[in-house]
Amino acid sequence: MDGTVGAASASAAAPPSPAGAGAPAGRLPPGLSVERTDERIMTLNVGPQHPGSGHMRLVIQVDGDYIVNCDPDPGYVHRGEEKMAEYRNYVLNIPHLERPVIHDSCNVLYPYCLGAEDILGVEVPERAKYVRVIASELNKCIYIQYWLAIYGIFLGHSTMFMWPAGDRELLIDLMEKLTGARVTHAYFVPGGVRNDLPANFEDACLRQVGYFEKRIKEYADIFYDNPILVSRTAGTGVLSRMDAVRFGTTGSVLRASGVDFDLRKREPYDAYGEMDFSTPVLKDGDSYARSRVPWLDMMESCRIVRDALAKMPKSGSVRTKLKPNPKGKLPHEEVYRRVESGRGSLGCHIVSEKKPEPYRVKMSVPSFRNLICMPNLLRGEKLGNMPAVYWSLNYWPVEADR
Amino acid sequence: MGTASGIIRALNSGVKHLAVKRFTLRYPEEKLKFVGDGYQFDPTVGVGIAGLKGRHMLFHDHCTGCQLCSIACEGVAEAIAMVKVPEGWKHNKKSIMPQIDYGKCVFCGLCVDACPFYALYMTNDYELSSFTKEGLIYTPAQLQVKPDVRQDSEIVIDERGATHG
Ligand code: SF4
Ligand code: SF4
Repeated sequence: MDGTVGAASASAAAPPSPAGAGAPAGRLPPGLSVERTDERIMTLNVGPQHPGSGHMRLVIQVDGDYIVNCDPDPGYVHRGEEKMAEYRNYVLNIPHLERPVIHDSCNVLYPYCLGAEDILGVEVPERAKYVRVIASELNKCIYIQYWLAIYGIFLGHSTMFMWPAGDRELLIDLMEKLTGARVTHAYFVPGGVRNDLPANFEDACLRQVGYFEKRIKEYADIFYDNPILVSRTAGTGVLSRMDAVRFGTTGSVLRASGVDFDLRKREPYDAYGEMDFSTPVLKDGDSYARSRVPWLDMMESCRIVRDALAKMPKSGSVRTKLKPNPKGKLPHEEVYRRVESGRGSLGCHIVSEKKPEPYRVKMSVPSFRNLICMPNLLRGEKLGNMPAVYWSLNYWPVEADR
Repeated sequence: MGTASGIIRALNSGVKHLAVKRFTLRYPEEKLKFVGDGYQFDPTVGVGIAGLKGRHMLFHDHCTGCQLCSIACEGVAEAIAMVKVPEGWKHNKKSIMPQIDYGKCVFCGLCVDACPFYALYMTNDYELSSFTKEGLIYTPAQLQVKPDVRQDSEIVIDERGATHG
C-alpha cells in the first residue's frame, strides 16, 4: 500500500519522460522497495516489552532457526535531553544530563563538564582532576558490573547475575560516601567536583577496591573459562577489524576486534596523562572477546583508582567558583570534548551564544555507534545466539535514544 | 576432557562460595551507615561537605526567604514552592520559606548549593515513602525537624569475604 502511494507521488513529481510512461512494470523508482514475503521467512518482534531487549525493538526475520535479517528499532525512551539542555544554564544542566546512563552517570556528564569549562573559561584545580578520575573509574566499574550481570542472565547463568550485582555494592558504597547518592550522583560540575573526599575515604577505597579486584578475578572460573559460556559465545557474531573501523564502533567492541583505541591514552584528559595503565585488546572480534574486554577493563580501572589515590595532591581546592553572572560575557564558540566511558568514546558538542544557557548541546553516544553493526553481526546466526550477540555490543538503549 | 574439567572447575568455584560470608544487607533491621550528617554546602569557599543527599532540613532562624533555592530547583525539578509561614521573623520580612515536594525532588542538592545563608542542608533520612501524594509534600515546619536515623551497618572485609557488620 505504502509502496504504491509513494510510487504514484514520485512519478507525479518526476518530469514526464518521452521514452515510455514512467518506469517499466516491476521496476520502482530509486529509493523505494517492495517488501517481499516468502513462506519460509517469518518476522518476529523482539521487544519493546521483551525483558531481554531493553527499551527497544528488534525486528528479526528468521528462516527456520537462522536469522536472515535484523532491523534494530531504537527510540522508545527518547527524553529530549539535548533540547532540555537549551533551556537551562550550565550548572542546572547537570542533573538531567546524567540520566541517559544512570549507572555510568559520572562518565556521561564528563564530556559536558570538560566542554563547559572550555566555554566558561574556568581552570579545574589539580586535586579535582584526580578526584574526577577516581569517581569516573569507580563509576565505570559499577556500569560494567551491571552490564555483566545482565549478560549473565541473558545466557541463563543466574550465578553470574547475582555475583556482579552483589559485588557492585562495594563500589556503590564508595560512590555513596563520596558523592552522597547511590546512582545518580550529580557530582561533576563545570569547574571541578561538588565536594571533597570524606574523611578516611582513602582507606575505605583501597580496602574495598582491593577486595573487589579479588572478587572479579574469581569470575574467570565460573564464567569466562567456563566451557559452556565459551561454546555459546566464541565464534558468534564475528566483527572483523576492518568492519569494526568501517562501522565506526568504539570502546569494548572496537578493542575486542583488535584495534587499540582508548581515549584515555590517545587524548588524555584531566589527570589520565599521569596514570599508569594499559588497555586490553583482543583479536577475535566475537561475542566472547567482546564480553571479556570489559572485564579486563575493570582490572585496569582498579589499578587507575589506586594510582590516582597515590598520586593525588593531599590537599587543595576541588572546585573553582564560577563567576556569579556570566550573562553577556560568554564567548560565541563551539567546543567538542570526548571521554572514554564504560561503553566507548562519548562526545559532547556544545555551542554557546552570549547567553547563560547553551545554544545547543549534542551528545555523541557510543551505544548508538555500536548498534550500527548489529544487523551485520546477526545475519546468519541462530536465533538462540541473538541475546549473546546483542548484549555483547555493550548497548544501553536509554543512552542511544537520550 | 577440557570441557569436563572446565565445568568441574566452574562448579567448584560456586561451591567454594558457600563458605564466603553472606553479603546481603537485611534492610529494615540493618541500615547502612553514611559518612557525616548529610550533604552540606559552604557558600564562602564554594565547596560542599560530603554526605548523603537525603531529605532536606531547613533552619528557620537562618532562612531569609530569598527564594534562591526555589530558583535553582526551577531548572531541575520544580520541587520547591515558597509558602507563607505565620511567624514574623525579623530577617524574613516576606515570611516565606521553601516547601519541598518529594514526589518531584531528584536529590541533586543544587538547592543546598544555592542557599547563601546555610539555611538548607540535606540529611541522612531517605525513607520518605507515603500512601498519599500529599504526604510527600514537606512543609517548612516538617522540614525543620531533625530526622531520627539509626544507621549502623558498615561493610567489613576479612579473609572470609565482605559482609555488612
Ligand atoms: S535536591 Fe534538587 S530536585 Fe530536590 S529540591 Fe533541591 S534542587 Fe530541587
Ligand atoms: S532556604 Fe536558603 S535559599 Fe531558600 S529561601 Fe531560605 S535562605 Fe533563601
